[in-house]
Amino acid sequence: MKSHSPWGTAKNPVKFRMPTADNLVPIRLDIEIDGQRFRDAFIWNPSDPDSEIVVFAKRTVKDLKLPPAFVTQIAQSIQTQLTEFRSYEGQDMYTGEKVVPIKLDLRVNHTLIKDHFLWDLNNFESDPEDFAKTFCKDMGIEDPEVGPAIAIAIREQLYEIAVQNVTSVRESRINKKGRRGFEHIQASKACGNAVDLFKLFGNRSTVVRKRKEWDVYEPIVDLLSNEEVDALEAREERNTR
Amino acid sequence: MDRISQDLELYTIPSYSSWFSWNNIHEVERFSLREFFDGSSVTRSPRIYKEYRDFIISKYREDPSRKLTFTEVRKSLVGDISVLLKVFTFLEKWGLINFSVADNSEKNSYEGSARTASFRVEEEEDNWRGRVKVEEGAPYGVRVVAAPNSMKPIIAPPPPPSVAVDGGGFVGEVGESGFKWPPLASYSDVYGELMQQEKKKGSVCGSCKENCDSAHYEYTKEGSFVLCEKCFKSGNYDKTKLADDFKYKDSANQAAAWTDAETLLLLESVLKHGDDWDLVAKNVQTKSKLECISKLIELPFGDLMLGVGNRKSRYLDVIGDISNSRQAGLASNASQESVKAEDQSSELKDKEQSRELTDTDKSPELKDRDQSPELKDKDQSPELKDKDLSSELKDKDQQNGDAKNEGPPLKRLRTGPTSDAGNSLMKQVARISTMLGPHVTASAADAAVTALCYENQCSREVFDDDDNYVDTKASPETSDQKRAAEVDNSVEDEGPNQSEIQGTSSVKSIIPQNLRTRAATATALGAAAANAKLLADQEEREIGQLVATMIEAQLTKLQRKLKYFDDLELIMGKEHAQLEELEESLMEERINVLQRIFTAGITKPKEHTSTTYQTDAIQ
Repeated sequence: MKSHSPWGTAKNPVKFRMPTADNLVPIRLDIEIDGQRFRDAFIWNPSDPDSEIVVFAKRTVKDLKLPPAFVTQIAQSIQTQLTEFRSYEGQDMYTGEKVVPIKLDLRVNHTLIKDHFLWDLNNFESDPEDFAKTFCKDMGIEDPEVGPAIAIAIREQLYEIAVQNVTSVRESRINKKGRRGFEHIQASKACGNAVDLFKLFGNRSTVVRKRKEWDVYEPIVDLLSNEEVDALEAREERNTR
Repeated sequence: MDRISQDLELYTIPSYSSWFSWNNIHEVERFSLREFFDGSSVTRSPRIYKEYRDFIISKYREDPSRKLTFTEVRKSLVGDISVLLKVFTFLEKWGLINFSVADNSEKNSYEGSARTASFRVEEEEDNWRGRVKVEEGAPYGVRVVAAPNSMKPIIAPPPPPSVAVDGGGFVGEVGESGFKWPPLASYSDVYGELMQQEKKKGSVCGSCKENCDSAHYEYTKEGSFVLCEKCFKSGNYDKTKLADDFKYKDSANQAAAWTDAETLLLLESVLKHGDDWDLVAKNVQTKSKLECISKLIELPFGDLMLGVGNRKSRYLDVIGDISNSRQAGLASNASQESVKAEDQSSELKDKEQSRELTDTDKSPELKDRDQSPELKDKDQSPELKDKDLSSELKDKDQQNGDAKNEGPPLKRLRTGPTSDAGNSLMKQVARISTMLGPHVTASAADAAVTALCYENQCSREVFDDDDNYVDTKASPETSDQKRAAEVDNSVEDEGPNQSEIQGTSSVKSIIPQNLRTRAATATALGAAAANAKLLADQEEREIGQLVATMIEAQLTKLQRKLKYFDDLELIMGKEHAQLEELEESLMEERINVLQRIFTAGITKPKEHTSTTYQTDAIQ
């Protein structure tokens, strides 16, 4: 077995993109107008023409029978997020060897999900939707909204980490004028709580986890009753305000 | 070691996964999961892959009857979750996990009993000796066995996944190996019963339960009760049955003896003599007039013969028809009966037409009909035929008596053979009945009714009652009554009065109509079936021929090619020879040249050295 030195191999920077098989952006909407609240989350294809945004906003408002004031708000919000995404696109991204933990903690209708697993940022063939589908199938979740919600949550986290990689690269580049060194150690340790690859994947250890750790990484799926749902919702609202 | 002494575990994996081994990583794995083997990341290495794989498979084998989910294993493994999913999918696709639980509960119950897994996961590979023996047997599913006489899997799994597909998708349903076509039913399956029934009728003695093929006694009150001669004579039957009630029936020799030669003679003579049965009988020396007639009726399209007897122009058609129909299976009762049905209908038709012509007295005709009891060559068919005939005749009988006339007057009426089905069935029946003699018609009618009646008791009654009516009306002799009554399970009506009979007959006429239409449809189907079979045979022959021509063509092609190659060889040989000659001549020339050089006293090497010497000298 070769001994790997993750920090030694300088990875060529990759153009920024979502570290998944398909370069789709998670969009989250949370708009409130006149006491009416609209929350949504979905995946957007950044290569779609922008004209689609307005069309989509209009259709959403029409389908959900929202007041027309929402149209512009929705469109604006989507546009902003997309622009942000696109602003990173031109830049380089140093992913290095990074396996990050992803945590899921979400509630979709009556299903509460908590999960914890590792994700390889370098794996540009990863597919959150596939994972979500398998997850729902294995756990026997019938609510069709859960799968996409999981996928979106994963994407958001990945997106965030990817963005951090870019910014830190930018920052470190600025700093590089001052000193040399392995900036990306700092970078990688700073964000994403990257897993210590060396320790885990090195020769001396096994990739099979110890039993006592199994619980940590096991998914928990709870079905809530109506009252619990209401309670949670109330709490969330209080938090966001 | 304890593990070895235990019963070895039985794990089923598909035969296309026989490459799998605990101690190695196979090409398949390297190819499908190449990210582990290309050194692209510290997180992926062959060792790591092997750990993942071994863990997952072992985890599955802890309880092979339950489907292992990805979620269960991923919590126990460190690594990128997408990659883990990929490994998991790969293993599942190749049937190394979740193979036996694919979905057939049947399969589960079948194999579940064979497992007593008590395997523990061990992290050191050396200790794990997986005895995975693949037994060649069924093409796909295999059983890993310890004992030689093990069970084979019942179900064939789907075809093996291609290696090129990277771990995607599951192995899918291990379902039944496809759809099985139901076995083709043969004619004898469908009609076997029919045939047997026909043969069996009345041949088993009621008391001693033996086959009485020869003369037997039939009980008049219940048509189906038969006694063999011995039993009758010995009084060995139910005493409630009176001896008088039995009628002697000689079912012996008449039907049995129609050889092909005789049939041929019969047909020829019919063609020649038409309706003149005496002459026909003379030609076919071994058979009486009545027998000839009845045999002719029984032949499919026999009535055609009669219709055509007077038209030599259609000779060929008819002969063709008859021979075809013979091929199609004289045993085809369906078509036979259908012919009888046709007879029925055409009888009626003819009756209508020939009403004017048939002025001759009723009684002789009817007496002729009455003679038909002698025609008992086939079971009870004569009686039935008689009845049926009479039932059809009832309408006509009401009006003017009977429509059957032998001989010349009918010839006028004769239209084309039954091929002009455009006319109504009734008309055809009437027509044919006029053409035939009474006994022939009677037999035809009988056979037709047989076909209808044996499925349906009530139709028997219908016909029986009609028969009763007609017979009594026609000739109120007790003998007739007896004869009529003895045939079936109809109740004897000793002397119904005219009006009643007429009344009942008109009522009854409605009922048989339906049956006749059924018979008519049976006709059509039977004829169609016979035709279809003929066509099919013809097609087969054609196909055979074409195939033969094709093969011939191919052979000639091959032969030509061979010849061509032979020619080529010849040419090559010649060229070779030429080249050799050329070579020789060149050699000769060279030798000559060399000789001349030598004679001139100069040798090549010396030339060379002399030049160098020269140059040295210059320097």
